[in-house]
Amino acid sequence: MKRTFLLLAAAVLASAAVVVAAGAAPSAAPGVTAKTILLEGTFPLSGPASGYAPIPSGMQAYFSYVNKKGGVNGRKIVFKFEDDGYNPANTVQLTHKFVEQDHAFALVGGLGTEPQLPVRQYLNDNKVPQLFVSTGATTFDRDWSQYPWTIGWQPDYEAEGAIYGKYVAKNFPTAKLGVLYQNDDYGNDYLRGLNAGLTAQHQNMIVATAPYDLSSSPPAAQVAKLKASGADTFVIFATPTPTIQSYVIATKLGWKPAHVITNSVSATDSFLTIATKSGSDLTNGTLTVNYLLDPSNPIYNKTPGMKLYRQIMAKYDPKGNANDGLNLYGVAKAWNIVQLLQSLGKNPTRAGLMKAARNMNFTTKAKKANPFALPGVDIVTRAGDQFPISQVTLVQYQNNVFKPLGKLINGRGA
Amino acid sequence: MKLPLGYLGFGALVVAVVVTPLLSTHYRTFQFAFVGIYLIALLGLNILTGFTGQISLGHGAFMGIGAYTTTILVVDHGWNNLLTLPVAGIVTGAVGLAFGLPATRFAGPYLALATFAIPLAFIGVLKRFPHFTGGTLGKQLSPLRSELGLHTNPSLWIYIVSWVVALLMLAVAWFTVQGRFGRALRSVRDSEIAATANGVSTAGMKTLAFGISAFFCGVAGGLFAMAVTFVNPDTFPIDLSILLLVGVVLGGAGSLGGMVFGALFVEFIRITWGPALLDLFGHVHHINTRAPGSSLVVYGVVLLLVLYVAPAGVAGLVRRVATGRRSVAAWAKPQAAPAQDQA
Repeated sequence: MKRTFLLLAAAVLASAAVVVAAGAAPSAAPGVTAKTILLEGTFPLSGPASGYAPIPSGMQAYFSYVNKKGGVNGRKIVFKFEDDGYNPANTVQLTHKFVEQDHAFALVGGLGTEPQLPVRQYLNDNKVPQLFVSTGATTFDRDWSQYPWTIGWQPDYEAEGAIYGKYVAKNFPTAKLGVLYQNDDYGNDYLRGLNAGLTAQHQNMIVATAPYDLSSSPPAAQVAKLKASGADTFVIFATPTPTIQSYVIATKLGWKPAHVITNSVSATDSFLTIATKSGSDLTNGTLTVNYLLDPSNPIYNKTPGMKLYRQIMAKYDPKGNANDGLNLYGVAKAWNIVQLLQSLGKNPTRAGLMKAARNMNFTTKAKKANPFALPGVDIVTRAGDQFPISQVTLVQYQNNVFKPLGKLINGRGA
Repeated sequence: MKLPLGYLGFGALVVAVVVTPLLSTHYRTFQFAFVGIYLIALLGLNILTGFTGQISLGHGAFMGIGAYTTTILVVDHGWNNLLTLPVAGIVTGAVGLAFGLPATRFAGPYLALATFAIPLAFIGVLKRFPHFTGGTLGKQLSPLRSELGLHTNPSLWIYIVSWVVALLMLAVAWFTVQGRFGRALRSVRDSEIAATANGVSTAGMKTLAFGISAFFCGVAGGLFAMAVTFVNPDTFPIDLSILLLVGVVLGGAGSLGGMVFGALFVEFIRITWGPALLDLFGHVHHINTRAPGSSLVVYGVVLLLVLYVAPAGVAGLVRRVATGRRSVAAWAKPQAAPAQDQA
């Protein structure tokens, strides 16, 4: 017994000593070679959030298209994405791999609030760009001075919630709102925005709120509670799967709200189609917002952006569903990344990339608007405003297409 | 003749632990730190499942309790990272004992189902008390910093910490399964009637085994939180509990050394081997290997293959090669018995 223990102790100490002695780290050029530039990101291809899987496919399709045309300043973009299953522990390990083993130039489009939060400090410590995270959580844009290597892209959830608040206060002043929201930062951002948009004067329009947990079963009890409250306007601030379930549950309960408002993350044509096919008759008339061209609506088919999008999808992602707006989201984001890379010239640096991201001016006025965004949507960042996209338009789902209602609204404006 | 294989194995492990970071990138070193962490958890679960014959589908949550203990002590009470590890173990061990008391009234698959409630309840509790646990958004530890005062890479630092603790815990596990106590544990697994007839309190042994295994998982969880630098409910999904049990079975239930292989599997199948195999399949069959859920298919196929080739886990395979015994019945029976009984 004693001999074994001594042996053990000696072995442990010896191993620790040798390991410590081996500390020095090799340094490598971060992701840029004479012919390539390496971008990487984590996305949920499995697990509860795998509905977002088309986003990286769309990005990949656009990068392939750019590479075919000669790449960026003579370099081909190599885009690698990995499945984190929406588990932050996986995101952390994969992000270490991108930085320490693959030496990616930048991490792009990383998806999800909770998965992207724990790698934010790590990436900022290592001065690796965490560019255009695929989440509208307000913190990624608002806290830019604390995390200079991190920036979001899409309109933030709070601003979107505020737009719904303003809209109902103006257009349905007598409505009674029943709000279903995900019991986390995501749902709370939306709810806070809604309250702000309603202003104190219309606060009593909300007659019931019901939080649900992503990991628990379908939100049946919550929807029943909202119905019982007498609400006539169903507000859904949920991720795709619970949103689809909510539509079906509300129908099965025989609830016939006059209006349904659903956050833009979940109110895409593909998710609403699933809800309809699963037996819900409430999808028609759904109100949401949009800021990108909508591939499911034929009115955009004549625009140059939609034509280009369909060409790219047909050629570089033929198995993907080109009518799924998430693909277009990926393409539009990739367009923005390519624009930044191009502006860096022959010798791109990580610091240069962030500087470019902090001073974007992709506007109609400058004749450099994102072709895949709605006409008039500007992508602007400058000192003091690090929210790249703030304009949206309200749209209504009618007979399987989203009809725009009126003009663009700036969610962060007064 | 029994000693050499175990000593050789331990010696080889120590050499491997020392050499690995010399030959690895920082990222691989980081991954091997997780292997050490999973090894601790598997050693604990193995005491319950391999030696005492009780199946648990809840030990991922015990890792979670340890991880939250460490995180809350560090973030909210300013403790030193390393000092939290024994507390994480003791708190989790206490929860394990408390759960062991009623749970041991169940046997076999009924116990497995009862333990399945642990990760489910754990996630619910985390979300119920957001002020204490951080809710869905979780809690963030500051990124790893070496406490050696040298310019040691953080990945190397967590590797050293994890493996020093893992080798210590391996020694603890070894002492636990020796002698009278170890015999009593195994007697519960092999025949409860015979154990009782010999004066062993089967309920007492099962409860103790639960507590000890939870202690191991708590320590592993504390290290896990330090390595991931973040905890939230998504970090401890139900899959983790299942994966740990799979790790024990693949490594070889009832073998301490086999847990090293189980830990390698748990770490690498999701992050490294699964995607690599997928790419390979993609090249051969031109299927869309990025389709949602395809990684799960690979994971299932690998699991079935390994169980087919080596029903007693890697440890059984190694023993079979080392002893040169060919007869399936001869090598499979003593080792695979606990796993097969319950499966």
